[in-house]
Amino acid sequence: MEKVITMEKNEVPFEEYLAPGHRACTGCGEMLAVRLIAKTLGDDVIIANATGCVEIVSSPLPTTSWRVPWIHTLFENTSAVASGIEAGMKAMTRKGRYSRKTKVVAMGGDGATADIGIQSLSGALERMHEFIYICFDNEAYMNTGVQRSSATPFGASTTTSPAGKQSIGQMTWKKNLPAIVAAHDIPYVATACPSYPLDMINKVEKAMKVKGPAYIHVLSVCPTGWHSQSNATINLGRLAALTGIFPLYEIEQGRYKLNVDPAQLSPIEEYTKLQGRFRHLPPEVLASIQERVTDEYVKLKKKAAEV
Amino acid sequence: MKDTTIEIRWHGRGGQGAVTSAELIAMAAIAEGEYAQAFPSFGPERRGAPVLAFNRIDNANPIRARSSVINPDIVAVLDPGLLYITDVVSGLKQNGTLIVNSPKSLVDIKSEFGGPWKLAVVNATAIARELLGVNIVNTTMLGAVVKATGIIKMESLVEPIEERFGARAKRNIDACAKAYKEAEIAEPVAVRARQKREFQVEKWPAWQELLPGCVVIEAGSASQYRTGDWKSQHPESDYSKCIKCGLCYIYCPEGCIVPKLGEEGFFEADMYYCKGCGICAQECPKDVITMVEES
Amino acid sequence: MVKNRVSMEGSLAVAEAAKLARTDVVAAYPITPQTHIVERLAQLVADGELDANYIPVESEHSAMSACLGSSAVGARTFTATAGQGLELMHEVLFVASSSRLPIVMVVANRALSGPLSVWGDHSDVMAARDCGWIQIFAENVQQAFDLVICAFRIGEDPTVLFPVMVNIDGFHLSHVIEPLYLLCQEEVDKFLPPYKYPYALNPDKPVSIGAFGMPNIYTEAKKSQDMALRASKNVILKTWQEFGKLSGRNYLPVETYKVEDAEVLLLTMGSFSETAMIAIDALRERGEKVGLIRLRLWRPFPLEEFQKAVAKAKLIIVLDRALSFGRPTGPVCSEVQAALYPLKTKPEIVSFVGGLGGRDISAATFENIIRNGMEKAKSGRFDELEMIEVRQ
Repeated sequence: MEKVITMEKNEVPFEEYLAPGHRACTGCGEMLAVRLIAKTLGDDVIIANATGCVEIVSSPLPTTSWRVPWIHTLFENTSAVASGIEAGMKAMTRKGRYSRKTKVVAMGGDGATADIGIQSLSGALERMHEFIYICFDNEAYMNTGVQRSSATPFGASTTTSPAGKQSIGQMTWKKNLPAIVAAHDIPYVATACPSYPLDMINKVEKAMKVKGPAYIHVLSVCPTGWHSQSNATINLGRLAALTGIFPLYEIEQGRYKLNVDPAQLSPIEEYTKLQGRFRHLPPEVLASIQERVTDEYVKLKKKAAEV
Repeated sequence: MKDTTIEIRWHGRGGQGAVTSAELIAMAAIAEGEYAQAFPSFGPERRGAPVLAFNRIDNANPIRARSSVINPDIVAVLDPGLLYITDVVSGLKQNGTLIVNSPKSLVDIKSEFGGPWKLAVVNATAIARELLGVNIVNTTMLGAVVKATGIIKMESLVEPIEERFGARAKRNIDACAKAYKEAEIAEPVAVRARQKREFQVEKWPAWQELLPGCVVIEAGSASQYRTGDWKSQHPESDYSKCIKCGLCYIYCPEGCIVPKLGEEGFFEADMYYCKGCGICAQECPKDVITMVEES
Repeated sequence: MVKNRVSMEGSLAVAEAAKLARTDVVAAYPITPQTHIVERLAQLVADGELDANYIPVESEHSAMSACLGSSAVGARTFTATAGQGLELMHEVLFVASSSRLPIVMVVANRALSGPLSVWGDHSDVMAARDCGWIQIFAENVQQAFDLVICAFRIGEDPTVLFPVMVNIDGFHLSHVIEPLYLLCQEEVDKFLPPYKYPYALNPDKPVSIGAFGMPNIYTEAKKSQDMALRASKNVILKTWQEFGKLSGRNYLPVETYKVEDAEVLLLTMGSFSETAMIAIDALRERGEKVGLIRLRLWRPFPLEEFQKAVAKAKLIIVLDRALSFGRPTGPVCSEVQAALYPLKTKPEIVSFVGGLGGRDISAATFENIIRNGMEKAKSGRFDELEMIEVRQ
């Protein structure tokens, strides 16, 4: 029996597959998510990692933070690499040269997933490879110094969507990647956040049991890029869910289910006021963001109400 | 041609603004009509990790060297903790200058880091906290550097700081001026104070030692890296209030909060890795953990 | 009828070789003139004749990326592409070689856009010259078949571990039907041991592949890669020798034709070499001391073999099938110049470019090239690169 840490009624696997000593920023929400997910995935896993923060902070030659088989190749191709791993393993299994039931997991940031890697992701999902794709969404290109991506939220100031006299920062709404992924009719899609660790662990466990591709979109608070306090990481993730800015839900066989559904959404200012990237926003812009967030949440609830 | 270049090496932490210090000095020197350059050393380390920045300033000739500064005339240390994890005086020239941010007195610092170099000490953290409200000492330290070296004039810093900080410029200029006033200086001594800690010399493999594809076969080997050196504060626990909920263990991004030896159900942070993010203290439902400044 | 002598299109011969090699994974994206190769492999898998996973990826970039994954997990991996496809793969090619993954790829050489051209030349492979792969050129269907089988054994050798690119001229080889001596499965099995990647991704022994390199280790990484690629030539030589014993067909890094007493050498690569032989024969009949040099191994460049092969000649006429825009000269000619420069006595070099975008070169044209080259040498015009048969 694997060693576990008991938390109330829940058990969290004890083993760490991401070694300490990684070079992530102080208070990094992304490495926390990676750590908890790696614990859940266990040792029978092969990870394909896109270029980005996770890759850089965990693999400085001649050392590695990884205690499970891990491969990094490029930025935009991780889903294709995972496709190859899965296909190779299947062929070798069929030919009697591989006997494990190893889970193949692809990981990438929001840039690697929603922007440069969306083609290879779509291809791998469409081909129905058996793998889990996990997007660690910190809402900009943090590895290169906080440039905007299509996952950057409306109004956020980044180095390439800076706030200025003629600009309120990012002027487009965050790309709804889970919906795009779900449109591939894969069996399991979920959003998660390490601020809700047991929910996230539960989702990873579900994804591991699925036949076919599974996708988990993890909001990863980034103190460096969001200009927030390093100790506010968990709180910010919590507020993202409670304000409805980043709702936590699952799409199983096309059916939506909300996992955190507050009776009343908290006002978005509770979330935005803790982050320097939103500091410049005037009340009317905040109001328009509030309107959109509320509206999207209503639509999501409606989807979740459908049987 | 006579070598007239003055070289500065800045030791800071990612996010503390060592690069900004270097840039402001260069901008001021250029405004004075001198030749100058400022550049960072690029690495994978992030916010909190030790980083370097460099200056070259020359009042006679254009600067051609673009390589890292190995034998600085001036070393400035922005974070007190760095003194104990990095050999900050490595390569410092005879009769060079070492400027450190520390709450300790000049006498104490001299007993630890005195040597054949001029020594300047300022409690830049306290000044920055007081005047800027944050522990970012990049502008504050400039005052001490200017006082100890006279490399530029104080007034030359005003314009670059205004350009960089806009509405916050005034406070930064004040902090800089206060550090100029408060910095204490000691002249060089012949013998270097005995070092308390052996600094690890990084060993890099020869090409023949690399496996095909540079594959790393030692799983988890990065755990040798002491990220605990990054922290400017550390958690302390009052276990009498602990309910053993395990949230600190769960929420630690480093995975360095581990079951406390011999005490069932309690957890403690491994200081070898703890970066001092403060998440455990923030999330602890019973206020068991408080964050304490590194001294 | 001779045993195992069949007629087969070049593309199908390549697919047959990949099948006999017991390829585990094929990841490919269709592009003219490579399509017949991958269509055939897909059919072989569909018919159960090849026990492999065929991944119909959504781009060449993903084709090579999927190959990285399957090769790294320990599966024997094959792909094929051409022209623009090779260019779309470009950045992945470097990762395949630096990660030391012995993928085998056939390139049905094709021109690069624009204007769009699906037809053959060597622009694609020349643009990928420095990607760190072992690069080999075939001249006919038989060679395409043989060299693909050898490619697996070379690349997978534990002292080599490099991806191998076998170049076949688009259409001229990919779409030509010729006689072919097949090998039987037993023979191939004996020649080609099962693939066993020593650092495979496997939870039994977790490895990290593709860690990043700071300035204080990157140079060592590159040195190690370059030394290994250069050393791979010994395994290439040995493999081809053993293949010769098995099949009676012998391959060398630098092939020659009628060079013994030749004063003038024509240098070609790929399928046009055989046409060039006709020109050599014709000129020989007229008493000209001409011969032909064919570079089979392009990377690692067979420096010693090449220097030896041309040492006695007075003139080398190089025909490039690609341009290096803004050139000092064509890409192959530049290499030839660099290879000979250190020698105290060396032949003069004249440079031609032709056969671009599917433009044919006949034996008669080769005769003209040689005569023209000799003329130029006589009048000392060594510094000009001439594009042949260009309408004025």
